[in-house]
Order: sequence, then structure tokens, then C-alpha cells
Amino acid sequence: MDIVKIPENDFYKFVDKKIAEKSSRIISVVRKGTKFVFDELDSASRMCLDYDVTILPPKKYFQPQKETLLRFVPKQADSYEAVNEFEPITLIGVHYYDLAAIYLMDRAFSEGKKDENYLKKRNNALLIGLYPTHFFKYRFSSSVIKGEQPYKVADLMLIHMDDGHFALEIVTEKGRAYIEGAGCKKSDYTLKEIEDAKNRIKDDQRLPIPVELTPDYLMKNHDHPVWEVFGEKCYSCGSCVFVCPTCYCFDMKDEIDLTLKSGERTRNWDGCMLENFAVCAGGHNFRGKRAARFRHRIFRKGVNLPLKYHYWGCVGCGRCADACTSSIAGPVKVFKYIEENK
Amino acid sequence: MIQTANSTKHDNESIYLPEVATLIRKEPMTDLDMYFEFEMKNKPLGHLYGQFVELSIPGIGEVAISISSPPGKGKSFEMVIRKVGQVTSVIHQLNPGDSVGIRGPFGTHFPMEDLKGKSLLFVTGGQGLVPARSAILHALKNRGDYKDITILFGCRDPGQRLFTSELKEWKSRDDIVFLETVDKCEPGEWDGHVGVITTLFPQLKDIDPLETHAIVVGPPVMYKFVIMSLYDMEFSDKHIIVSLERHMKCGVGKCGHCQINNLYVCQDGPVFVYDTIKHLKEAI
Ligand code: SF4
Ligand code: SF4
Ligand code: FES
Repeated sequence: MDIVKIPENDFYKFVDKKIAEKSSRIISVVRKGTKFVFDELDSASRMCLDYDVTILPPKKYFQPQKETLLRFVPKQADSYEAVNEFEPITLIGVHYYDLAAIYLMDRAFSEGKKDENYLKKRNNALLIGLYPTHFFKYRFSSSVIKGEQPYKVADLMLIHMDDGHFALEIVTEKGRAYIEGAGCKKSDYTLKEIEDAKNRIKDDQRLPIPVELTPDYLMKNHDHPVWEVFGEKCYSCGSCVFVCPTCYCFDMKDEIDLTLKSGERTRNWDGCMLENFAVCAGGHNFRGKRAARFRHRIFRKGVNLPLKYHYWGCVGCGRCADACTSSIAGPVKVFKYIEENK
Repeated sequence: MIQTANSTKHDNESIYLPEVATLIRKEPMTDLDMYFEFEMKNKPLGHLYGQFVELSIPGIGEVAISISSPPGKGKSFEMVIRKVGQVTSVIHQLNPGDSVGIRGPFGTHFPMEDLKGKSLLFVTGGQGLVPARSAILHALKNRGDYKDITILFGCRDPGQRLFTSELKEWKSRDDIVFLETVDKCEPGEWDGHVGVITTLFPQLKDIDPLETHAIVVGPPVMYKFVIMSLYDMEFSDKHIIVSLERHMKCGVGKCGHCQINNLYVCQDGPVFVYDTIKHLKEAI
């Protein structure tokens, strides 16, 4: 992989040039109050690449909170028309754990039946990754992500160096073409300097057991009291799944406009922590108990996705731990409780 | 979100785009269940025994419904739809000639080809008869392909019986065993067996668990008890085939609603050999 370098100022100028070109929407991290969010840039000066974590992960650009799948005339089944809206976007400054999550989403939406509503958006995106420069107290990504995982989706990777430069790893040819004309120079950093800069921020938290052991470990603890104890405190608010970069469950709903002449079938974020997620037509709720829902979410991350994709289903971003009013959602806390109460 | 006209493209490869089918016939079956026959507008549905489709009415919504007829009726297929929510209520009001959206067929099927030469034991409860019927009708039509055929059907009360004229026909056949029960009934309303479905098992004679495959379809509460009874008869897990009900929203393995552990019931099921799911604690 080629590595180049660019002064930070020049990179910002380059981003401004890309914004002016209008060949794709430029999205990066900006401040929102005391927090950070992904948003479209009108000027590189708003871009904030030294952030701890964003409120929502970038999944919203590939699976929007609400998106139209079909349009129709109400009650006329021959009027159904597929809708797929997408346009080129460039995402700048996606932390490596969010890239790892995008890799899992890619697998989910491309394996088996292909979901073109996701894939068209995704294939029209250029991803510029970033290694974190700020500590986030709930993050534990380094104990759950395999090193190569972010590189399966990144086109370029930005690394903050100490001397006012970014080192830029060129991962794909698409990435190489994108930064042509940015004024990058050949990198003269040693591999060690690059590695140190990548690992500048040490996570405070770790998963207490090796990640590859979690499927067996959790299955053995299927009936552990942890699910009841934590489930008891859960409000079923769904915050932990809505902020999670590896949660992509959805619901579909029909909406009719005020004229009653046209309508849309939309897909909307949904989550297994919400009470009625697993209710079926006969009315039976297959996960009616909070403990069962709590367990399902953790099992999905630690058993189901790992067995299916051979990667852990949680990327350790820590957003769920931060979002949960009851302070129970973070996987580390759950595993620690099991370890302490064997 | 900004949409610029030149970069927004429409696309028809959607896995969410339904085909069109027309209602040809409907008949009430119980106070809540209605029989429907639909005909696909373009090409036959191409379904197999026990599969399901996502049926929709634009503006109302989409629901997963089991197909109740065996393949081989050209473009037409049958369903029994229970009125349990908004979408199914509107479906009940459709008239012949009205059209609906159909996606599918989805899911695994009863392996009727592989079961040739074997004996079959169908254990069906309530609405479970609807998907099982596609396999039952196939087996009865191709009676020579299978050894002994036994059909058990149980429902809550006599008013809940489905396909009553077919049940009558099955009862009169001497080349199969058909046993029926209701959980409860009013005095004078029913002269048959009363009791949950497992109370029919003592009447089963001469079932060879090595030669027979059980096909079990019913409400969620039924499985545990039926499987226990099958174990008593020394059925092995490999000879028990179940069809599981879950909330199937998308049918294509994406939305997560139907998940049991790492299985998506809409893709990996609904029909499972019990052996492959018995270790999953949420399965039954
Ligand atoms: S955020 Fe916390 S309280 Fe809300 S559903 Fe998740 S675990 Fe439960
Ligand atoms: S489960 Fe929590 S820590 Fe893991 S990826 Fe989801 S939000 Fe992040
Ligand atoms: S019904 Fe959506 S994943 Fe199975």
C-alpha cells in the first residue's frame, strides 16, 4: 500500500476544492454543541477531524433513518414502482471502527438477495477513513476489530502525524484517483512512526475475554442471571440500537399523501430492543421479555454475526454505552458482569 | 437530503418490488379466516410446499402469508388469511377482480421429493393446516409415492375448523388415517374427539418411527408438546420436520424481524428439520 503525506492546511484546501467541484456531496464530521455529527460540508472550515465519536455512525448515508422503496397509487397494485435514490458522496474522516461496521453492513445487504437500495448508495460513496486522535471513555474497538477489516471498505486512510501533516494510505485505485492534484508528497515516515500515530489513542476499555471465544462463551451463558439483571433495568427505548453502526434492522410502512392519489412504501430504522419487534401476526411475541431482548442484542453481536461473517458483530465504538440512560447497554459491562458472577 | 436531478437515478432491480396478482375467488371459512384464490398476472408463482409470500395492498401495507395450495395450478394459488390486523382486514374486503402485490415465494419447503417412499405423519394445529395443506394435497394426489399417510388436525373449537369439506373427504378415505380433535366445545356442538392434539397420539397404531417423517405445523405453544409425544414414539430429530411462525417483514433476510439466533426464518426456514434447530433455545 502506498503512503503519501500532505500538510493539514493543504488537505483542507483540497477539500474546499472538492466542495466547489460539486461532483459529489462532501460529508464529514462537524461540531454540534459539545458533540459531533456527520454532516454535509459547505466549507472545509467546518470540518472537525479531531473528534472523539459522532452521535450517529455514518450508516445513515447508506441506510437512511427513513427511505422510500416504492411509489404507488393507493390500492392499485399494478401501480407499484421501485424507487432507488442515490448520488455520489464522499465521506471524510470515518473512524476505523465505523469502517469495520460498514464492512459488516455491506455483507448483510449484498449476500443472499442483493439490496440495491443500500448497494447503490454504498457503491457511489468514496470512504476516507481516519485513526482517532481523541479518547472516548466507552470505546473498546482495539480489542474487537481485526486490523484488516477497515481496509476492506476504505479508499483512503488518514493518519494524523505530529508535525502538522496527515499521512495518507492509498487503499484503492479509486482513492488514488481522488487525491490526484491534492499536492501529496511521498511519505518519509518510518513504519514505526505510522504505527505509533495510528495507535496514539489507547482505549480505556477492553472486552474481558478474547473476542474469538465469545460465541461459545455466550452460548454457555445463555441462562446466566445477567440477562434478567440487566433486562430489569432496560426501558426498551431502543437508543442502543439506533446509535449502533452494526444494527441495520428495519420496518416497512405505507404512507399516503394528502391528496390520497399517491403513496410510498418506506423503510424505517427499527430495533430488536423495542418491545414489539418480534410480535407475529397471531399476536405471539417471541421476545416479549426485556431479558430476552437484551440477550438477543448481545447475542447478535457476539454469536450470530461472528458465526455468519467471521467478524465480531460489534465494533466497540461505545455509542450504546453512552446513549443508554440506564447505563447497561455497553457490551463490555455485560461481559464484565458475567466474568464477575461466574 | 439534497437530491440533484442529474444524479438521482431510478432503478428496477428492487427486491421490494411486488408482482401483481388478481383475486379470483374468496369464501369465508371461519369467523376470522377467509379462503382466497389469486392468479398471478404475468408468470406462475413457482412455489413449493409450505413456502410463503409477502402480500400487499398499496397504501395499506404488506404481510407474510403461507401458500396453501400445492404447485401445479398454473398461475393460480390459494391462501387462507386470518383477519388479525389492518392489512388482513382490508384483504378480507377485496372483491374478485381486485389486484394485490405479491413478493416471493420465500423460504424453505417441505421436502416432498425426498420423502417419496416414506410414511408421513402430519401433525397440524389451527392455522398450521394452511401451509401443511400444500404438502398434504400433494401426497394425497400422488398417493402411490408414499407409504402410510396419517393426518392429525386439532383446533380450538369446532368453529375454527378449516377446509371442512376436505376434512370430510379425508375422513372417508380408507387409504389414509385422519384424526381430528378440538380443544373444547359446547355441549352438542361436536361429536368427535375433545382434547389438545397430543391426546390423539394414543390412537396412533403401527407407526414405524424409522420409516415415518413427522411434519409438524401449528401455533407456537404446540411444538414442545408434540415433539415430546414424538420422542415417546421414538422419533429421531432427523425425522421431525417443523415449520415455524415468526414476524416476517421483508422475506429476504435483511430486516431482522424473523431472526432466531443466527438463522433468518424467512430464508433458512420456515421449514426446518428439527435436528438442525433443536439447540437454539428460542426456536420452540
Ligand atoms: S439504550 Fe439502554 S434502556 Fe434503552 S433499550 Fe438499550 S439497553 Fe434498554
Ligand atoms: S454494540 Fe455498542 S459498542 Fe458495539 S458497535 Fe454497537 S453501539 Fe458500538
Ligand atoms: S423477514 Fe426480514 S429478515 Fe426475515
